[in-house]
Amino acid sequence: MKLISSLLLAVTISTSLAANENISTPVAVNEDISTPIAADENEQAEPWLERLATSLQTLNFSTSFVVVKNNQAEPYHWFHGVDESGNELEILSLLNGPRRDVLRKDNIVSYIEPELPPYSVTSQQITGPIPAVLREGVTALDQTYDFISVGRSRVLGRPAQLIRIVSKDVYRYGHWLWLDQESGMLLKLALANRTGQLLEQIQFTHLDITNALSESLLQLQQTTLPKVIEIPAGYQEQVLQWQVKWLPEGFKRLNANRHRISTTKKPVEFMLFNDGLVDVSVYVNPSEDTQRATDYVMDGATVVLNQVVNGFEVSVVGKIPAKTAKAIADSVVLNTQSTP
Amino acid sequence: MSENKFEAVSSIVDNYQQNDELFDEILNDSHLSATWQRYHLMGDVMRGETSDVINFDLSSQIATAVADEPTILAPHTSNNLGGKLKAKVVQFAKPFGQMAIAASAAGLMVMGVQQNSADTDALLPASQVVKTMPFGGVAEPVSLNFQQTSRSSEKQAFVEQQRRFQALLSDHQQQIKLSSVDVNYTSPQDKAEESAK
Repeated sequence: MKLISSLLLAVTISTSLAANENISTPVAVNEDISTPIAADENEQAEPWLERLATSLQTLNFSTSFVVVKNNQAEPYHWFHGVDESGNELEILSLLNGPRRDVLRKDNIVSYIEPELPPYSVTSQQITGPIPAVLREGVTALDQTYDFISVGRSRVLGRPAQLIRIVSKDVYRYGHWLWLDQESGMLLKLALANRTGQLLEQIQFTHLDITNALSESLLQLQQTTLPKVIEIPAGYQEQVLQWQVKWLPEGFKRLNANRHRISTTKKPVEFMLFNDGLVDVSVYVNPSEDTQRATDYVMDGATVVLNQVVNGFEVSVVGKIPAKTAKAIADSVVLNTQSTP
Repeated sequence: MSENKFEAVSSIVDNYQQNDELFDEILNDSHLSATWQRYHLMGDVMRGETSDVINFDLSSQIATAVADEPTILAPHTSNNLGGKLKAKVVQFAKPFGQMAIAASAAGLMVMGVQQNSADTDALLPASQVVKTMPFGGVAEPVSLNFQQTSRSSEKQAFVEQQRRFQALLSDHQQQIKLSSVDVNYTSPQDKAEESAK
């Protein structure tokens, strides 16, 4: 009997060692486990996230991280710096497979990818595995998400603060952020569903914060970026035949257009929604099938859901639970106002 | 029970120290063991790692179950407890292998769709090999051919579906890049000029 209970304890011990994210302060000795410790820490979460935004915008850093999803790892290099005139410079490169680089000089972002000739867009944020909102501050998210400071742990050999961005409703995933206590930088990011199961992780493997710009950024300064593509006015606000009737609260439409999917050349009506943290795409197009059951795949936390109803194919893509994607797909209806 | 001991337990829970003597003491003292359990539960609750049902006295249940178990070597087939125990042990191991589980869960989700592929790609050659071997002495070319045709159409549908998903995924990423375009942007120079005015 003793052996069994000691075995159990051993399991619990290794659990605590491996989980590596324990409550920071020794909890007061109290039989009552509902002691409101979390309430105090709650107030500390937002300053941490503000500090993260400042760090991401102002520090000269050179870092590497690995995106872990679907039993595979994608390694990236990420450089960021601010030059003498206050312009931000940024490089994000995927290190495995064909070259995929994102370069940014202040408000020009260039994408170098195997599928397309290099191009630039006018934007202040690079689109990559790390949500852009983290560098803009999270105040925009507080209608739909709660910010909770959970405690301290050790990540990348540094003391780190664990902050959770938790959805107020059940339609979204939670983001867990481990932030460097010294610099405020991101050390680890995880997406988890409501039961705490991790779906996708970004683990930083190296972080250098310097006073001077790194060599790669100095080179970027000298580089001429590809031509900025002009997006015709109104292209992203077209009146479409179809509309989405339901979305979780806080999602705003960023884009509505008709285009052809680059690989299949299929013409689609397209809408992009964003709640500040995650992007959700909705596609509608006629299909050769009249009916096809709902089907989906998961790419890490990103769901790709697809169904055909009455000859029209509706697809939803985004880092949302499959149930939410299904509800969005089911809510797509003909836009009665626009059809004559 | 001294306050020191509780503090010591707490510091072990928080990974601040590792003290073999103290571990032994915790193991031998039911009160300290209970404290240990509670601290971990608090941690789990705060991190949101608890399952829907929290079983507070799992270890004593197991101990009782073990004590009640007759000492026979034959496997105990019809007991509900077996299932329960297994589930709970998995839960204990959950944070321990979080990443591995998440990864395998992701694997599972993809597997769910790839079931067809498992039937066609992976298993077909293997089963062919097995079947062509004079194993039972009966060759089954007809059923084999029949399976192949149905499988190839299945496979085609599967490939088609994969292509569709892949196309959507890459188009989604492409559109995000184009939609992040910021029209109302002022560069630091502009800002400086504005403030100079």
